[in-house]
Amino acid sequence: MYDAIFIEERNKPTVTLAFEHFLNDAMSAASSKGMPVIRIIPETIVSESTVMDDIEAAITAVADDMVAALTKPLTPEEKSPKRREPENPPRIVFKGNLEEVNRFFYQRGWTDGLPIIPPTEEAVAEMLTGTDLPAGHLVTELEPRRGKATVERIAINAAMAGCLPTYMPLLIAGTQALAANPVCGMMAASTGSFAPFWLINGPIAKDVNIRSSYGATNPGDIANATIGRAMGLITKNIRGIRKQIEDMGVLGNPGKYSWVTAENEEFSPWEPFHVEKGFKKEDSTVTLTFPQSFQQMIPFGTDDKGVLATIVGNITPARMGLFAALLTPAHAKSLADRGWSKKDVKKYIVENARVPEDFFTRLGLDGSQPFDRGTGTGPGGTHEIFRPSPRDPDPVQVYVFGGFGSWMGFAQGGPPPITIKVELPKNWDKLVAKYKNIVPTYIRY
Amino acid sequence: MVAEKAVATYEVLSPWAEADPIPLKGISPRLTELAGKKIGLLCNNKRAAPLILNVAERILKDKYPTSEISWFKSRTFSVSSLEKDRIAEFEDWIKGMDAVVAAVGD
Repeated sequence: MYDAIFIEERNKPTVTLAFEHFLNDAMSAASSKGMPVIRIIPETIVSESTVMDDIEAAITAVADDMVAALTKPLTPEEKSPKRREPENPPRIVFKGNLEEVNRFFYQRGWTDGLPIIPPTEEAVAEMLTGTDLPAGHLVTELEPRRGKATVERIAINAAMAGCLPTYMPLLIAGTQALAANPVCGMMAASTGSFAPFWLINGPIAKDVNIRSSYGATNPGDIANATIGRAMGLITKNIRGIRKQIEDMGVLGNPGKYSWVTAENEEFSPWEPFHVEKGFKKEDSTVTLTFPQSFQQMIPFGTDDKGVLATIVGNITPARMGLFAALLTPAHAKSLADRGWSKKDVKKYIVENARVPEDFFTRLGLDGSQPFDRGTGTGPGGTHEIFRPSPRDPDPVQVYVFGGFGSWMGFAQGGPPPITIKVELPKNWDKLVAKYKNIVPTYIRY
Repeated sequence: MVAEKAVATYEVLSPWAEADPIPLKGISPRLTELAGKKIGLLCNNKRAAPLILNVAERILKDKYPTSEISWFKSRTFSVSSLEKDRIAEFEDWIKGMDAVVAAVGD
């Protein structure tokens, strides 16, 4: 829609053909750019369909509408749309008991479906102790709604998610990461159900007990569970991306609840991810990527040869976007002990991940469907799956986290990582002391 | 006699962000007819988009044989948002068109 608006702004009439299920999404996009009256023709072609009979029939059916959209004179509303006030609810939005608050928030579309902690003045005030920034400080605006991500609004969503105040510096940096690349909004709304994956580096990970070892991305740790949850609520309530309105994810993605880990810096033999990106080891950072898929594998072997063969031999076809190898400290050690640096590993993957020669013919395809939609890999093109380019100079990443075991993983999809430095409040040590011992204690049976 | 339970009540703050009103713009005047006009087909990187526009092109050529069709293919979802290196090329293409049919493939 953005390009159609760009063209209309240059005084050229346009019409956009869009799948009828995507009208809400298209209209939200158009409204966010100030052109809610742009002409869109709904058609019946399922998103990304390649079924020619359906396409032929659908476009033939709307051909007259398409022509009319370019020739039918404008209505007064189309010439000069009426000003619409955005919905800005009062600061105190509701009063009720726990059940009533939850029901109200859920029915307004403000939750992720799980119960929330009521964001009272007291709860939000406590959350605000996690930052030196004033409550009214505007961190950023988030498209498409252009909601104002003030510190207080971040804190309200954090309180709802069940965060501790010490997570506020991470949530503020995370919100900055969401605004750092316009493609982040598109990822959150995409049919591909890309889920934000948050990698935390630096001392803050231990300060706030972000798990980096066994089951790092499993439920069960308040930090890993609620930081991602809060960022999901921020995406919904500040960015304005709601399910099947703007978020048109087809299958959906459980990672959207919360997908957070710290890198296991303690046991990784390599420089941490944020150091690789130019930050100091003592800096704390938040890194955001948007994989749409998470795959776990038992490697062919846990030595360097077995781990690397598993990676280059199992790159998923019909893929696109960033590739991240998720290695346990044990795998990273196997590689490092045999002289592999992280840079060597990435270079090896780029050079050796290739489309098998007979891949398309074996499937009865002519190769017009690329193995990697991002690079056009396949017959007639290159057989190298990853091709560094000026737009994407580093298409392969390596993250080290998890416990000591044989399983390894891939996270695939999305734009290059965005890494933001976390700014801590002056009384950080006191805050850490206050909240750090909030940890589960499991009783043996 | 059953004692009434005290139920805590909560006065809660809105999580929904404030937003400024966005200045609204109208759309540009329409053409009186398409015959003899230059019609652009704007195609994003979704794979349905070129298939849709192939059909649209054929229909437009059948209806308006004197019209001229020109394609612009983006390599992403949006040239104007994500392909800053092609903005000048995109602007030039738009200048040469009388009207544009866009397919987003979604």
